[in-house]
Amino acid sequence: MNKVKILFFATIKDRAGQKSLELDIPSQTTVLALKEKLGVEFPNLKDSLKSVLISINQEYSFDDAVIPQGAEIALFPPVSGG
Amino acid sequence: MQHFPTIFSITESEIDLNDLLAKITLPSAGAAAIFTGMVRGVTARDNPHETKYLEYEAYIPMAEAKMRQVADEIRERWSVVEGIAIVQRIGKLYPQTPTVLIACTAAHRDTGVFEAARYGIDRLKEIVPVWKKEVGPNGEEWIEGAHIPKAGE
Repeated sequence: MNKVKILFFATIKDRAGQKSLELDIPSQTTVLALKEKLGVEFPNLKDSLKSVLISINQEYSFDDAVIPQGAEIALFPPVSGG
Repeated sequence: MQHFPTIFSITESEIDLNDLLAKITLPSAGAAAIFTGMVRGVTARDNPHETKYLEYEAYIPMAEAKMRQVADEIRERWSVVEGIAIVQRIGKLYPQTPTVLIACTAAHRDTGVFEAARYGIDRLKEIVPVWKKEVGPNGEEWIEGAHIPKAGE
């Protein structure tokens, strides 16, 4: 198993109702599989997950990436700083 | 290799232009291009409306890493740029308050330094993980950007 930290920001944080959580996921889990799991645990997130941006260890990541051991994963909408 | 100062930070404090400018001005500098954005209280364009305040949030460690990346990209494109400062303020910010600052220094103004600063703010708005919630007379709304980063961005 792989213990990962998941962070939510902006609209995703509001819909999830929390800022972060720790989760045990099987080794070799992909970003896509994690999104599906989060969609089951947080039904409010389901619609957002199609367009959400994901980072792993502070780099943008995509559906087919395999999540490394102990990763810090963040989910957020397209950025709007400035 | 000459050492050029690069400053990047997410802060809850007021942005101090004079202090930042001093830190990126080398003896060889003769020009600085500075962009600063502020909270607009009254919007006339597109969807006219009023803003009471903006509330900014950041994923701070990734935001600072991506600001460093923006600075690196500026240096790849404009090797004449000497100092670079990139600062994003977060928290609750009211109209007429500066929220972001990008400054680039160079020996002369005709070196591309204006374009370098322009590139910096455009890129910050694409890849630096910061979000703002707009609060107006009729309620609040998260603002979402339009850029979807590609692998390696």
